[in-house]
Amino acid sequence: MSGRVLVVDDEVEMQRALRTGLRYHDFDVRAVGTGEEALRESAAWRPDVILLDLGLPGMDGFATLRALRPATRAAVIVVSVMPGEKDKVRALDAGADDYVVKPFGTDELVARIRAVLRRQADLSAGEPVIRAGDLEIDLARRSVTAGGRAVKLTPTEYELLRYLALHAGKPVTHTTLLRQVWGEYAVGDKYNTRYVVAQIRKKLGDDPANPRYIVNEPGVGYRLQA
Amino acid sequence: MTRRAAPYVVAIAGAVVVTIAIGLVSMRFEVPGLSALYLLLVLWLGATWGRGPAVAGSVAAFLLYDYFFVPPVGTFAVRGQTELLELVVLLAVALVTGQLAGSLRRTQSAAEALAADERAMYELATAALRSPEVTVALGLLSERAVRLQGVSRFALVAMDFGSAIPLAGGDVSADELRQAAWSYENKHPIGVALSDGAVRLMRTSPESKEPAYVPLVSGVAVMTIDPGGSDPGDLRMLAALVGLADLLLDRRRAVLEAERARGFEASDRLKAAILSSLSHELKSPIASLRAGLTALMAPQAGLQAEQRELLGDMDNQASRLDRLVGDMLALSRLEAGVELEREPHQFEDLVGTALHQLRPVLKGREVTLEIADDLPPVEVDELQVGRVLTNLIENANEWAPADGRITVGASTNEERLTAWVENDGPAIAPTDLERVFETFWSRRARGSGLGLAISKRVVEAHGGTIRAENRRRGPRFTFTLPLARIAATR
Repeated sequence: MSGRVLVVDDEVEMQRALRTGLRYHDFDVRAVGTGEEALRESAAWRPDVILLDLGLPGMDGFATLRALRPATRAAVIVVSVMPGEKDKVRALDAGADDYVVKPFGTDELVARIRAVLRRQADLSAGEPVIRAGDLEIDLARRSVTAGGRAVKLTPTEYELLRYLALHAGKPVTHTTLLRQVWGEYAVGDKYNTRYVVAQIRKKLGDDPANPRYIVNEPGVGYRLQA
Repeated sequence: MTRRAAPYVVAIAGAVVVTIAIGLVSMRFEVPGLSALYLLLVLWLGATWGRGPAVAGSVAAFLLYDYFFVPPVGTFAVRGQTELLELVVLLAVALVTGQLAGSLRRTQSAAEALAADERAMYELATAALRSPEVTVALGLLSERAVRLQGVSRFALVAMDFGSAIPLAGGDVSADELRQAAWSYENKHPIGVALSDGAVRLMRTSPESKEPAYVPLVSGVAVMTIDPGGSDPGDLRMLAALVGLADLLLDRRRAVLEAERARGFEASDRLKAAILSSLSHELKSPIASLRAGLTALMAPQAGLQAEQRELLGDMDNQASRLDRLVGDMLALSRLEAGVELEREPHQFEDLVGTALHQLRPVLKGREVTLEIADDLPPVEVDELQVGRVLTNLIENANEWAPADGRITVGASTNEERLTAWVENDGPAIAPTDLERVFETFWSRRARGSGLGLAISKRVVEAHGGTIRAENRRRGPRFTFTLPLARIAATR
């Protein structure tokens, strides 16, 4: 078994499709239809990943997410039909690890689930070196290499890259980056993060028109490709 | 006549009374300069009735004083130089003070008339502002106008979105409405002129009882003025009433327009809400379909290659349906006037995002970039312009031959960024170069026909233009975007 996945979706057809599809990919799957059930199941069964639909009847997805977050260490992937960018940002800020827009194919979903599981494993291993493709970030020595070539970053650039790397594969919002890099009371503009990201890309030899490392999440923020 | 004579009678009687008073006093006491008492009388006469009675009073005073007090008493003869001088001064002072007081009185009565006008206007204006229905206030106004001397009719006609509607002051005949409309459209008064804050009749034949028309900002005032019997004050008042009517009619129109706009806005919001919920309802079953179909495509499901292929086709159709629903929603939102979230962006970043999103579609096809180095940032809505880029690149991908090339380029001048997406597929028929941007027009039987229509609306919402042309290599779509106003931090 490659992990426990709890599906929270009020549509029975969706539950059945995901149960079948994810089992073919060796996941152990349970499905529930409400937020309350999700909270119970999350505490009793201890899933590794929770697929949470935002449009639940009764206790809605955001309320469920807020209630889940302090209680579980499971990665939460928010699932939604036509989420606005503000919904995505709100879900990420409330502690979601990723979001997937409905409709999606099983392969895409499996890739996202594997990515969050891998990240969890990396984080708990406490590896001092983070790798994303041929990018290496040595947290202990504060050094960065891209394709074996040492890259010199300013402290701001390093902080931003380090934060993205610690959450490799996860979309990180502009607000979170501003706060992480410039401090809790940072007043800034998305343009600040965009500027720093442009500098990092330049130094990493990354083409902004065809990025290999840092990918834009339009209207949300950035994601370091895992 | 008696009214006009009365002040003179009072003047002479006053002079007599003062003379008696002086006589009584000087019998008991020796007071010099008692003649000054006459000055008081003259001053009072001047202040009350003006110069005429004041002069009459002072001449009477002069004669009486001379006769009774100036030696030789009992004659009009004057002996001493001092007495003569005293009398001349009395007369001169009478004239001057009478004059002064008279002009003061005239100013005051003019001010009082003005104040009365202003009070009337103020009362009307407050009544107008208090009453929620502007037509009620207009009715009051027209009643006030016909109370003016020489004004026998005062009607107001509103010009609502091109049609003349009588609002106050009684019936207006169809013929008069036509005249009013003419006057309004040509901004030309008929039969009157407004000048120096008064209404003036402009008549070729003075007996004409035809109404006069004054065009206003949002309507026309129709009035009948008797050429003989109106005084200047009343004509000034009439002009002020016309001015107030102008303001009220304009306010009425502003209210009407706001209501109309709210109506439109509400229907737009309703439309967007219905479409949004409809799209949601359509997408949910598509989501279950795709999840189910793709689940079965896993090798573990144990299906044969042929069966998996069939599932793949069905999944593609489901995806297409999903795109169609999404495009329809996007288009209707754009038509309802979506608010752009414009921020400075590097054009390269936008292209990078689009290419990243299209990876599954491009399936490894290389996209050549001809984007100039160090382009200044553009000020755009990232998501909307991202949609334009994905639409154009996807479109190019569908038309380019299997080994064909897609090129994305951009350059700037001082005002805007010009970007293009080109492929080396077949040329677009010259007659279709404009039509490709029309809603539901597609060169392919399978296309949604919305991608380019959406792109056009997004570009135009940013104040840019988009066009299709055939280049030597193949069709090219070119669009412009505004540059960010802030200087790039470099």
